[in-house]
Amino acid sequence: MGLGLLASRTLRSSSRIFHNNGPTTHFLRTITSTPDLNNADASASAVQQPDLPPRNPVGGARVHFPNPEDAIEVFVDGYPVKIPKGMTVLQACEVAGVDIPRFCYHSRLSIAGNCRMCLVEVEKSPKPVASCAMPALPGMKIKTDTPIAKKAREGVMEFLLMNHPLDCPICDQGGECDLQDQSMAFGSDRGRFTEMKRSVVDKNLGPLVKTVMTRCIQCTRCVRFASEVAGVEDLGMLGRGSGEEIGTYVEKLMTSELSGNVIDICPVGALTSKPFAFKARNWELKGTESIDVTDAVGSNIRIDSRGPEVMRVVPRLNEDINEEWISDKTRFFYDGLKRQRLNDPMLRGPDGRFKAVTWRDALAIVAEVMHQIKPEEIVGVAGKLSDAESMMALKDLLNKMGSNNIFCEGNGMHPNADLRSGYIMNTGISGLEKADAFLLVGTQPRVEAAMVNARIRKTVKATNAKVGYVGPAADFNYDHRHLGTDPKTLVEIAEGRHPFSSALKNAKNPVIIVGAGVFEREDKDAVFAAVETIGKNNNVVRPDWNGLNVLLLNGAQAAALDLGLVPESDKCIESAKFVYLMGADDVSLDKLPDDAFVVYQGHHGDRGVYRANVILPASAFTEKEGIYENTEGCAQITLPAVPTVGDARDDWKIIRALSEVAGVGLPYDSLGAIRSRIRTVAPNLLELDERQPATFSTSLRPEVSQKVSETPFTPAVENFYMTDAITRASKIMAQCSALLRK
Amino acid sequence: MASSLRRIATHSPQAAAWRSSLTPICRQFASDALVEIKPGEIGMVSGIPDEHLRRRVVIFSPARTASQQGSGKVGKWKINFMSTQKWENPLMGWTSTGDPYANVGDSALCFESEEAAKAFAEKHGWEYTVKKRHTPLLKIKSYADNFKWKGPPKTAE
Ligand code: SF4
Ligand code: FES
Repeated sequence: MGLGLLASRTLRSSSRIFHNNGPTTHFLRTITSTPDLNNADASASAVQQPDLPPRNPVGGARVHFPNPEDAIEVFVDGYPVKIPKGMTVLQACEVAGVDIPRFCYHSRLSIAGNCRMCLVEVEKSPKPVASCAMPALPGMKIKTDTPIAKKAREGVMEFLLMNHPLDCPICDQGGECDLQDQSMAFGSDRGRFTEMKRSVVDKNLGPLVKTVMTRCIQCTRCVRFASEVAGVEDLGMLGRGSGEEIGTYVEKLMTSELSGNVIDICPVGALTSKPFAFKARNWELKGTESIDVTDAVGSNIRIDSRGPEVMRVVPRLNEDINEEWISDKTRFFYDGLKRQRLNDPMLRGPDGRFKAVTWRDALAIVAEVMHQIKPEEIVGVAGKLSDAESMMALKDLLNKMGSNNIFCEGNGMHPNADLRSGYIMNTGISGLEKADAFLLVGTQPRVEAAMVNARIRKTVKATNAKVGYVGPAADFNYDHRHLGTDPKTLVEIAEGRHPFSSALKNAKNPVIIVGAGVFEREDKDAVFAAVETIGKNNNVVRPDWNGLNVLLLNGAQAAALDLGLVPESDKCIESAKFVYLMGADDVSLDKLPDDAFVVYQGHHGDRGVYRANVILPASAFTEKEGIYENTEGCAQITLPAVPTVGDARDDWKIIRALSEVAGVGLPYDSLGAIRSRIRTVAPNLLELDERQPATFSTSLRPEVSQKVSETPFTPAVENFYMTDAITRASKIMAQCSALLRK
Repeated sequence: MASSLRRIATHSPQAAAWRSSLTPICRQFASDALVEIKPGEIGMVSGIPDEHLRRRVVIFSPARTASQQGSGKVGKWKINFMSTQKWENPLMGWTSTGDPYANVGDSALCFESEEAAKAFAEKHGWEYTVKKRHTPLLKIKSYADNFKWKGPPKTAE
């Protein structure tokens, strides 16, 4: 018996003075130490208590019963639970509210069963069983809290710690490390190992993931993540026994848009974030639960800040949107929030240079110019990152000035804002998992919406769904058939002349995803008409299934269309004399007349600023509260995590102030009031965290006489890592684009 | 060791008896003796500056840390004061704040249920919104899936 065990035994037996030995019920959900060996029969009789308090599944988990008849009952520590047949013992424990310690098991990866930390005792089984890999059988009596289970785990822990360095004080994982946590429960305070600890050469996985491979405990979570979720077979296990290493064999960067997630799934500090290395300790950070707006997925994130600075971004669970992953762009763009920020209102002088002015002066000038210009020559452009409130305010302001030329970049000049089903993802992101055939039209989900791509990949892997792709040559991490590059292919599929049409026809739940890049095409209506014909011929839209989807590109697009940001004339930029850019950097201003007056309101000195006459500094999405709607029509809210820089203000406040100075005061002066205004236009935007499906299907759309053109589809996103003002300002993203883009 | 001590504290009958003998006294002072508290009153009588009586807060249930398995802190409810009045103090580089609630929400207020958090916010007269809690979905997983036949091998393209 080890010294540590002996010591704890002594301590524990002294603590038994306070225990009464009668039937006590201990229901601690977490990893707990057990009553010691001598007490075993007392605890066994204790668990048979009749009036057991109800227990909740770990983390409030919901249990998915694919087939309600197939429920079985097992007993976890004497507590009966109903679980669907086929679940593992570990999952049964989870349903019973007992969190089993684990290293290799991850609920979203395949089961490896190689760490042995999850050992539990099962009645009538001679040895402890690895609960993660053992299917639960009806009537099984699982004991998670017995001396045998505890001793087994202590043994596993001792072996793991044998070769684990004593790095915790300098390890970035320290404080949020599973090994650290579990060694508090099962570790001994001294080891019996007297040899040298092994050491492993660190691997270079690229600019995002830092490796300290000596810390690795060979759980293979990262290997499974890379091959199952990310779809890059880069990582692997080399060697055997104590020579076992995780690596890429030949030095290779991990080129996946999801590589950052291995940082989270690594239970120890072997894989940590390179940009975050030694920047902060996680207990100093304040977490703000917010959402990501750098693409249209609206991944749920937690913004960790220290003082006035965003230190890192980590994912937050949302089964419907991003599960537990986020893309590398979401995770690492945050350093862009500190660079190139606009912090004072500025005015371009006659010499072409900007000089800082006060808010009062800046607003007065803008208001004055705005009044001198004919209403139809005023144009407003909402940027990619605009929230619903500010778009509402901008639209109201422009309408009060008499102009109706307002649009959101990325939506094109003829957006279809009438039928909501024509611009959102009707299937829903999690709904994609039910599909068995995909037709991707002009969209490269891998770069446009990495989380949606992860879902498609998951589906393809699980059900062998067929994927057909029409568009420019692109990178996919699952099997697909490249059907063609231009819309003519669509017509062929619609008319049933194409070999892929039979695949669609035979599919039970076919899904068609049209990229938002199509919005900018001349023949957009014809493309959508062709897609609809395909849909009609293949039963894509049924009462119980809607497989017609549009995959949007930017966080603001869906809300903008919901709010009716549609320009009155498509030539409005050409004839504009006054352009209000609200964070719009990617709208083409080449055709803008030279004498036009441009106001740029935004948070970064990006492309929009080059042409601006006045700059009004606004706050970024990490600094304000704003509603964003994602591509599947789910409205979510960002919460402020850090203060704004300099003199910047929230977008809607700037517009509200400008309206006052211009003498056309908007009738709201608080977020609550502006949201009631939104309620009159698009009430679905206020149903937060709840997907609002479109009510009418696209079949109501009028006939289109337009013909599809021969022009091939073009990629909508040139560089995955740099799509908007924040990511373009980020140094990490610049490194990534230099190193990781193939 | 710590956990067995904790167990004593929470589960030993002595402690329970002590607590139960104390509870009626507390009750009496808390609810029976005083008149009913109207929304916002607690805030007014507790000397909180006027500008902080009307605050917008968000009630939420923190998600599990993605990098940790432990669920001990999951399921609690917290109040986010959305306080951003912070700046770096030019003297030492430390963070200063102008908001008395800046550190209250994250570190000090923790509720067992959504209702408790709402009641607290109401008592203080804060205007609150509640964020939906996201919970995981447990689906059947099996070790045998690793060896499932997944169709004929794909030909490399
Ligand atoms: S690097 Fe981390 S995730 Fe990968 S096997 Fe080692 S411990 Fe597991
Ligand atoms: S979690 Fe079961 S063996 Fe690793």
